[in-house]
Order: sequence, then structure tokens, then C-alpha cells
Amino acid sequence: MSRGIKEVFNILIASVGGQGGLTLSRTIAIAAVSEGFSVRTGETLGMSQRFGSVTSFVRMGPQNAVMSPTFSEGMAHVMVGLELTESVRNLRYLSEGGKILAADTVKPPITASVGTARMPSKDELVGALTSVDPEAVIVPARKIAYDVGNPRAVNMVMLGVFNRIFGILSDDAVINAILTLLPGRRGETSVAAYKAGIKWAEENKVVQG
Amino acid sequence: MAGVRGLPERINPLKAPAGARLALMGNEAIARGAVESGIYVVTGYPGTPSSEVIMTLQRFGKDLDMYVEWAVNEKVAFELALGASIGGARSLVTMKAPGVNIASDPILSAAYCGVDGALVMLAADDPGPITTQTEQDDRWFSKLAKLPTITPSNPQEAKDYVKVAVMLSEKLQLPVILRTTTRVNHTVGDVVLGATEPPRKFKGFKRDPPRFVRAGMRWNLERHKWLNKQLEKVEGILNELGISINEVHGDGDVCVVTEGVTYNYVTEALNLLGVKEGVRVLKVGQLYPPPREFLKKGLRGCRKAVVVEELDPYLEEAVKTLLYDEGINIDIHGKHDSLLPMEGELNVLMVAKALTRVIGVPLPKTLQVSRETPALPPRPPPLCPGCPHRASYIAILKGMSKAGFRRDEVPIFGDIGCYALSVEPPLNAIWTEHSMGASISMAAGMKLGGNDKPVIATIGDSTFFHSGIPALLEAVHKRINMLVIILDNTVVAMTGHQSTPSWSVTETGRKAKPVLLEDVVKALGVDNLAIIDPFDVDDMANVVAQYLRKPGVNVIIARAPCALMKVRAEGVKAVYRVDPEACIGCMACIRGTGCPAMYVDESGKAAIIEEDCTGCGLCAYFCPRDAIKEVRHE
Repeated sequence: MSRGIKEVFNILIASVGGQGGLTLSRTIAIAAVSEGFSVRTGETLGMSQRFGSVTSFVRMGPQNAVMSPTFSEGMAHVMVGLELTESVRNLRYLSEGGKILAADTVKPPITASVGTARMPSKDELVGALTSVDPEAVIVPARKIAYDVGNPRAVNMVMLGVFNRIFGILSDDAVINAILTLLPGRRGETSVAAYKAGIKWAEENKVVQG
Repeated sequence: MAGVRGLPERINPLKAPAGARLALMGNEAIARGAVESGIYVVTGYPGTPSSEVIMTLQRFGKDLDMYVEWAVNEKVAFELALGASIGGARSLVTMKAPGVNIASDPILSAAYCGVDGALVMLAADDPGPITTQTEQDDRWFSKLAKLPTITPSNPQEAKDYVKVAVMLSEKLQLPVILRTTTRVNHTVGDVVLGATEPPRKFKGFKRDPPRFVRAGMRWNLERHKWLNKQLEKVEGILNELGISINEVHGDGDVCVVTEGVTYNYVTEALNLLGVKEGVRVLKVGQLYPPPREFLKKGLRGCRKAVVVEELDPYLEEAVKTLLYDEGINIDIHGKHDSLLPMEGELNVLMVAKALTRVIGVPLPKTLQVSRETPALPPRPPPLCPGCPHRASYIAILKGMSKAGFRRDEVPIFGDIGCYALSVEPPLNAIWTEHSMGASISMAAGMKLGGNDKPVIATIGDSTFFHSGIPALLEAVHKRINMLVIILDNTVVAMTGHQSTPSWSVTETGRKAKPVLLEDVVKALGVDNLAIIDPFDVDDMANVVAQYLRKPGVNVIIARAPCALMKVRAEGVKAVYRVDPEACIGCMACIRGTGCPAMYVDESGKAAIIEEDCTGCGLCAYFCPRDAIKEVRHE
């Protein structure tokens, strides 16, 4: 069911270190290459991966069309957020008419907990997203992941929602990529989370076109 | 952690057949490049963004008949590689930019003796900077060291250029630097694999003092002349070998000279601007010496030129020098006229904006998006839940006050490692973080300068092995009164859990002799030594207080394994839970620990994210009402 793309497609993944943002970007990259696309990802590895803000750039397109590992503000066709604060933080990357898919998880940063900075409420965060994309898809991803037995697989739930809406990659390619990256039981529950994400998207009629 | 965990299990990037097309990170591609180029000895010291080259070779290349091991520091690593290469073996040594500084002594002399087997040195720069203390531009280092240097622009070239570097190195008999930037090292891209080559090992070593003994000044003068002659051959050799790492794209009388990852930004920026003709792009792969013939030919007929590069105007100055020598006077734009910044990394939009000013086309409206986002609490990287460094710094600060000192009168010198994150609230612990090992020597220096209050140096175990030993020796020998705390989590944690000299088996399964920190510290002759588990906060605080008042060089080894490593090896055995009935919302737990597994819930009470908790119990230590309880997993 791969729909394919004719031009470069830019995905911004916003997450908190440890949530699996890097695994998500790598999964998409592996699936995209197996589908014959050219890919580039731009990651921030090293110091900020654990509980810091993590922004991943994923780009795919026809062979030789993708060159830069990053893209600039206003150039993301879609933003996949694994956490609401980080989704709002990265809104500047979204293009005009860009789509927002965000998990409804909120992880208050330490700066908010120790009282040095004010933490917006969940409603404020969702409001910031819907003011940019009125059709922003807010996904109860942790609950869905928890229900399939892997509360850490929020990233894979979001991948399911993303791919059901955009249909760029075939399900086989995505599932193979997941199992390539995550062997054993973690792989199985991740595939289950991916499928649960697809199912949620279908049941909630967030599918375009 | 660093990306290797994310690699395919079923597809081995080092063993996949030639022609296979894989999604590889730049550093994984370099690792494959080593296998395709017959490299035998691979060594280095961990440092972002260079670490995954060795990690990939260690994980996927166990039965490949290669030596792939971390060294104690970059200087030693380079010398290991040099020793292998003067004996005819092919070697690769990897390091981040500040590591190049540490290795600079042997690197500069290596240009004089040269090599027989190829020696490729990966120097990974970090414009941004994303994870590095300085934004140093190592292209200048190539010029200083007089070593041929090439640079890739994407993961495919990162792999291919290892082979180019090997060929160049053996033709010239010189070490060759492969200079990368983070956006090549850490970018995943589609890479088509080539054929592998059997590793080249020791061939022989002939005694040749004029070449290998730097004590003879006449020999050094002769070798310097030899070196300069070799450098003149670089461009010619690449042409002879039919290797085109310098390319011209498009045609026109406006020229863009660029290199590395910025080539991608230039190409995409021109597409965005809709510029299809009139612009000639010169992509330079040969950084040092600059390819004069290529540039001369490529710039012929140019009306004006813009040099697009990150950090310093290195290529810009090379282009200007060349045009001056040729008697050509055209406008050159770049850094000197402030068209592009000398700091930070570039991106497509920045390059597009710069090009609009040179080419005279407008920026498309679609690129002029600006969005207001509400004020958000920043999320700097904290110490992980369960991190032993948190406990150590809590004990240090406590011990300081027990000894009767205010926090603002005893400086805590920090060093390079995760524990530098203790600089953030709520710990606000370290006062400095400078260079590997500098905590000890700078603290000692402050005492020498006349500070009569105590000073504390805090340094990680691997950083101590790397560069702390000579500093501690100096402090002991000069009888400086100071407290040194070695934060021993038994691993190089920040860069992705690499081995230290205290391990008995390395990542590749090689049996190693464990060198114990306490043996080294004792042998250096320190006055007092205590080994403590930092999670016994009160015990450690007492020793800190006692040592702060005792003259001499006093050392505490605060020993507890990295929490991430421990959880991966053993799983989480217990977590902590807040009893909302008992919690009075005083937030002593959160303010005391700054643990990222904790937050303030809607009712204003402390709460713990159970899947992030690793059960260290520090939060419970701070709770005045005993409201935080351990919950053991069955």
C-alpha cells in the first residue's frame, strides 16, 4: 500500500531523550531505503539524549533528491511529537499547512519542577498546537502502547498513526525495519504498538483523503 | 545513547555484500570503509561525534581479523596507529576535535617520519557546537601539521573517502586526515557498499634514523623539505588515481566554492531559490593542501564568487590567495564581509538567504514563515535518574557545610564527562569544566596562586586515566593541599559506555589486565585515600568534611556503576512511589535531587514517573515525612 512520494518529504520528530525519537527516525530511514527512497536524518546524539530536548530531522525522497541532513524552520511537512512540550517547542519547523501528530504525554522538565520556569498546562500546550494546525491529531499514545504491553512504545504508536495518514511506506517495510532494529520481544511489542497506532487512526477517522 | 544500539541486527553492515544499499550513519559508513580498505589496527578515544566508528567495528566485526580497541587517550591512540603504520600495517585512529589537540605532539612529528602502511586519522569537528567545548576548525590543524586532508559531504562519501585516504596515504607515505563534521558523522543516509579487502598487517621495519629519530636537527631540516615536496604532489596523485573528490557542478559566472556538508545546503538552497543556471558550484573534497589547479580552472571566467563553509574562512582565504597569485581581482564573499557567520552551523535557509544577496534573487515567500510559540520551560540534559554522580555532588555539598564552609568559598573544579551536568540547578555544583584532567591541575594552580581556602577537584574515572594521572602526580609532588574526588562509574558513560583500563575484558572479548584506580592513586603517593559508595550520602559527606580539614592531597574514590549501564545489565529491581496522603508538597525531594523521573502533579504534590525511576532512593533520603517508599519488583 505504499503511496510513494515525488518530492522530498520532511519529518520533524520532537521528543524527550529516552522516549525513542532516535529509534523512530532510524526505523523510518531503514524502511524508506528498503522502499527505494533516498534518505537523510539529522540527529543530535551525545550529551542531550537522556531527558533533554531531542529534535530529529528525517528526510526522504527519490534517489539523489535528498542532500541536506537537516531542514530549516518552516520546512517540515509533518511534525511527529512524542511529548507535548517538545511538540510546541518545535512548532517553528512546521511548514504552512504542515500536519501535527502529537502524543498527549506531558513530561515536565526539571526546570519547571524545581520552580525556575513556569510549566504551561496540558490544555495550553494542545491549544498552541491547534492554533497552528486546527486538525492537529493528538494521540493517547502512551495508553495505546500500555494496552499492547509496552508502555515505552509511544514512538511506534505514533509511527502507525503517521503511516496510516500519509501512507508513504508499505506496512511490510515498516514492520521489517522495526524487527531489524528491535529484535526479540521488544520488536514484537513494538510491531503490536505500530499496528495499534494504525487501528487508532482508522477508528478515529483522522485519515486524510 | 550513541547510535550503534540502533543498528540492524539482521544485516551486518561490515559483512553485507558489495552492491547492497543500506541506511547507514556516517560513522557506520566509515567503519565499513575501514573494512573495504584493508585496515588492520583501529584505535582512538571516545568523543562525540566520532565514537560510533569504533563501536560499529567492535559490535559487528568481532571475527573480521582486525584489532579494534579503545586507547587510554588520543595521544596514545595516535602513537599506536603510527607504530603500526611505520611497520607497514594499515591503521585508522578516531577522535573528536579536542582529542586532536591532545594528540597534536605525535601528529606533527609524524609528518616528518611519514608511514609505510596507510594511517588514516578521523578528526571529527562539531560546528554548532552540538556536543563540544570548542568550535575549533581543524582545517587549520591540517595546515599546521602539514598533513593531507580530505572531507566527505555525506555518509556514502564518508565510506568511500576512507579508501581514498588509504590510497593517498600509501602513495605519499604520509598520514592522511579525514576531516568530518557532526552532520556527516551522525547523519543516516543510503549507502551503497563496495568490496572488502583483507587487512594489511606488519610487513617489516628497517632502522632508518634520519627518518625516525627527531634528535638530529639536520635530519629534521631534510625531512621538512621532503614533507613540503610530498604536499605538492597531492592533487596530481588524486588525478593520476582517477579520484575526483573535487567536483564542478553547473556553469555560470557566479561561482560558489564549498566543501563537506555545506555542499548539500548550497545545492538545496539553489533549488529553493529556483536558480537553474548562471551559477557554478565548486565542491572541494581536498582541504589541505587546497587544490590549486582545480580552483584555478574552476574559477576561470568567474565574475564573482562566494565561499560557503562552516566556522572559519579557511577556503575563503585559500581562494583569495590563489586569485591574488593569478592576478585576478573579483569580488569574493563569505566570512570576511560578514555574509555568513563564523560561529555555529549553517543550514539550507541561512545559505539560501546569503545566496539571494550575492545572486540577486528574492527569497520565496514560503520560506518566510515565522511562528510565535508560548514561553516554555527549557529542558537542558539532566543527570539520569539513579545517576551516582548526583549522590556524589549532594554528599560533596553536604560535607562542605559540615566542615564549616559556605558554598561560595570552596570552588568545585569539574572535568569532562556526564558529571558536568551537575552545573545545572538544583545542584549548581561545579564551577569549571575545561579540558581533560584540568580539574586537578587547575584546582592545584589556584592553591599555588594563593587561595587559602580549600579547593575540590571532581573527575571521572576514564578522564582520570586519560589525563588526570600527571595532574595528580604534580599535586602530590608539590605538596598541594586539596581534595580530589574521582567519580568512578567504571565506564566512559557520556559517549555511549565504552571500556576503561579497569575492565578485564574489552568490548571485543579481548582479555585485558584490569588496572585499578586505587592502585594508581596509591602509587602516586597521595596522603589519604577513601573508597566510598556515594549512595551512602552521609558517610561520604563525613569523609568530605574530614578531608577538607586535613592537609595534603586527599582522594575519595566515589564508586558506583553508571545507572544506565546497571539497568541494562540487571534491569530495575525496585522503584519508589510517593504516598500522596503523606506528602506535604514541600518538594524537598525534587529540589534536592533534580531527578528527571520526578515532577509536581496537579494537586501540587511530588510524583514519580515509574517507568523512568531506577530505584536509587535519593528522593526518599530528602523526604522529611517518609512519604516516598520503595516498591520492589517481584
